[in-house]
Amino acid sequence: MCGIIGYIGFRDAKGVLIESLKKLDYRGYDSAGVGIVDKKLKVFKEVGEIANVEKQIPQIKGTLGVGHTRWATHGAVTKENAHPHLSCDKKIAVVHNGIIENFQKLRDELKKKGHKFISQTDTEVIAHLIDDVYKKGNLEDAVVSALKKIEGSYAIAVVCEDEPGKLVGARKESPLLIGVGDNENFLASDIPAFLKYTNRVIYLDEGEICVLTKNSIKVFDKKKKEIKKKEEMITWDVKDAEKSGFDHFMLKEIYDQPDTVHQALRGRISEIENSIEFPDRVEKLLNSNLSSIQIVACGTSFYAGLVGKYLIENLTNIPVFVELASEYRYFGTRNESSLVIVITQSGETADTLAALREAKNSGCRTLVVTNVIGSTATRIADGYLLQQSGPEIGVAATKTFTSQIITLCLIALKISLLKNKLGSDELYNYIFHLKDLPRKIQQVLDRSDEIEKIAKYLKDAQSVFFIGRGINYPLSLEGALKLKEISYVHAEGFAAGELKHGPFALLTKHTPVVAIVTKDSTYYKMLANIGEVKARGPKVIAIAEDKDTEIESHADFVLRFPSDSPVLPCLSITVILQLLAYHVAKERGCPIDKPRNLAKSVTVE
Amino acid sequence: MKSVILAAGEGKRLRPFTETMPKVMLPVANKPVLEYVFDAVKKSGIDEIIVVVGYKKEVIMDYFKDYEDIKITYVNQTKQLGTAHALLQAKKHIKDSFVVLAGDNIIDQTSISKLIKTPSDYAILIKEHPYPSKYGVVFVENNGIKRIVEKPKEDVGKYISTGIYKLPRSVFNDIEECTSQGVHSLSSVIQSLLDKKKNISTVLAKSWMDIVYPWDLIYVNEAMIQSTSASAGGVIEKGVTMKGAVTVGKDTKIYSGSYIVGPVVIGEGCEIGPNACIFPSTTIGNNAVIHPFSEIRSSVIMDDVHIASNSFISHSVVGRGNTIGNNFSTIARKSTIEIEDEFKKLNMPIGAMIGEDCVIESHVVTEPGVIIGRKCKINSLKRIIKNVPSESKVM
Repeated sequence: MCGIIGYIGFRDAKGVLIESLKKLDYRGYDSAGVGIVDKKLKVFKEVGEIANVEKQIPQIKGTLGVGHTRWATHGAVTKENAHPHLSCDKKIAVVHNGIIENFQKLRDELKKKGHKFISQTDTEVIAHLIDDVYKKGNLEDAVVSALKKIEGSYAIAVVCEDEPGKLVGARKESPLLIGVGDNENFLASDIPAFLKYTNRVIYLDEGEICVLTKNSIKVFDKKKKEIKKKEEMITWDVKDAEKSGFDHFMLKEIYDQPDTVHQALRGRISEIENSIEFPDRVEKLLNSNLSSIQIVACGTSFYAGLVGKYLIENLTNIPVFVELASEYRYFGTRNESSLVIVITQSGETADTLAALREAKNSGCRTLVVTNVIGSTATRIADGYLLQQSGPEIGVAATKTFTSQIITLCLIALKISLLKNKLGSDELYNYIFHLKDLPRKIQQVLDRSDEIEKIAKYLKDAQSVFFIGRGINYPLSLEGALKLKEISYVHAEGFAAGELKHGPFALLTKHTPVVAIVTKDSTYYKMLANIGEVKARGPKVIAIAEDKDTEIESHADFVLRFPSDSPVLPCLSITVILQLLAYHVAKERGCPIDKPRNLAKSVTVE
Repeated sequence: MKSVILAAGEGKRLRPFTETMPKVMLPVANKPVLEYVFDAVKKSGIDEIIVVVGYKKEVIMDYFKDYEDIKITYVNQTKQLGTAHALLQAKKHIKDSFVVLAGDNIIDQTSISKLIKTPSDYAILIKEHPYPSKYGVVFVENNGIKRIVEKPKEDVGKYISTGIYKLPRSVFNDIEECTSQGVHSLSSVIQSLLDKKKNISTVLAKSWMDIVYPWDLIYVNEAMIQSTSASAGGVIEKGVTMKGAVTVGKDTKIYSGSYIVGPVVIGEGCEIGPNACIFPSTTIGNNAVIHPFSEIRSSVIMDDVHIASNSFISHSVVGRGNTIGNNFSTIARKSTIEIEDEFKKLNMPIGAMIGEDCVIESHVVTEPGVIIGRKCKINSLKRIIKNVPSESKVM
């Protein structure tokens, strides 16, 4: 999605803006631009890489500016459509993330008044709306009155040549935060943009407007009443968001997992006390009378939710329904005695936020599982749990998926405890093995060379099937999603028992099948399914535990995960699937961290 | 000035601990040996490090991905032929004089600074040693090397080579000359320089330590832990006694009644106690759990280890991910240890050395100096009297 950045301070704005835009490029973009006030407002923009813009900028002195990476929604990918957009007199520059729903009407009205439009974007109307009411020395009032006319979502940053000491920002339904520095301040869509310079952050709330100077920050509500805001410290290290030494962010993030699993468990479970600790608000939510649980999410988080369904139902007997956020928002049932668990890594996913608001308005209790403290989702929901996995830069979710599963597992255990369904010996067994998980994942990482060999085999496949039963079914979906999103190999995940109800028609001897086989009640059924597949000619790659010797006579290749992990073997399996997708993509020479057409956090619906 | 750090070796004599990580990554007071070398090099005024990696190189690159304030370049030695061959891999990154160090020897920064400041083109750090015959013995005359003898049969001389040199770029020609004749060790190259009448000045190192055998982990840990200072993170319950320099990492919880006498280093996310006792020269890694009434002294406990109640662990090394049942007991005393078909007599007490990811059930006793491999399973009530190879079961 689009990324915006604004800077006011003492440093060279050019350097800061370019550097920050590069930090936001994980959001996905097709063009970029900056506007810098160096006595006059000067704008540089280009299609493609940020470096293309950087090349155009001459030595320039200004210390105030805005920048933008664009992911096209209104209007094609062209230089004209790239941000910043300007007023008629080219004195006001606006960068924008979001969608203006009534832009056509506003555009027609402004045209009648004589405003000339250069681009096809919705954003350009904001620049002209501000221009329309602008009186020198009062940029923020012009912004306030312009925003009153706008329907839709926005996060904007605005500068004006006549007010070189001022940077104005505003947000509604799109993320925007202030980075608080000494003698300098920042506006950005996301933290990594300015983390190099400061770790002090102010989160803007819905409908708020801010005015930044070099050494002051003022935040107002829609009626221009000043609001006191609290500063928060970000504990992420800037190094966390850099790939240092690894070929790709995705690989670094896969290797981060022993540590992020530790982080997800830290402070939550105690082996000595044999207990699971949650914040009081969350514990109260889980301890209420729950007739059912609905898990609402998109993409990989949705698959984490499906895994969560198996975990929670298994441990608590409470029925769990998993819904796609974009569907839940408009369809399905609402039940006040049900708990809605919303999963969103960024806490800003537009579809998920809309569903969360919908759930709350219908009187459901809401709990958010997210990675970002202070994000919109954490402020809407009744309670939140942080997955504590640190920033994820690779577009393909890896460590955040495993952390979400851990968090859901803890939720399942906690509910089960609160409902007196779990004995203390059982709980101890769970806690003990949860603590062991990072070692198990490490053991998978230590043997990645076997996975590389299989990847070489898979790289020429036209299509790959992933199959599993029970909790391994959502893992099959996730394995297929990872493969298709970064390697562009067509892949589908199926419940193993469903193959014969249709998908078999697509199976030829050129369709390798990855089968996830665990030693549980479905083991022999899975062996039978592998037999059915083999009868049609494809090669079968089984993912099975170390001690399983029987599998070798059924599958063509076997990838191993450590035995003795009765709790969540699915995490070890997930890591194998991630490495498999990564190495196939690498063999095929794909742009792993920035797959085509995809963006990291999807802030439009 | 740049420095080349040799970190490609496997460290066979340090098995089982080197089965999943290279020798340079073994932890001393919760920091890999290589990090001590990096720290010293950084502080001595070196501005770029070239690390020659090979065996399990990912472990090194993964750990140092966040290492700050100095440029690190990795070069790969695909076959571990010898130290001179390893150094040769760094050739294209070196333009001037440089310093070469072994990544598995702990060295202090002042010694490196002294070496850098020596006016001579060729210089070596040497160290006095009571048993020089294990090392390259250096014979010194007028502050220069006269002769270097690798592992002499008898204890002759008194100085040993630390393997740390300052060398000019031209040395790569000498190395190539030697390697083309099949000679791959750096001390042979140095001897060939002496044969060519090159003057190599000697500089005395202040502190230098080598890790060769598993028990060296205990002794080097003991030496390095003396210089740690107290710092407490985490939660320390009322009723915990802490004396001396005790370092406690964040998110660690120490329960009431525990008694800890420093120098002790405890990592992050651990749970200790209630009523656990930890005595001097002990290091405990991250996410370890020490249950009530267990006693640990002069030992190295690595990450993710569970030690159940009423255990006694002394002068021992416990690898990552071990699960140890209740009433586990190490017998520690002076002993002769069998390793690589040799017998080594130790003058200090020694307990057990246990590789990664073992499961040891309750009431197991180990005799002094036994080495238990990686991923072993030991049933309850066993007495371990000799070494147990990796991935075996003691029933």
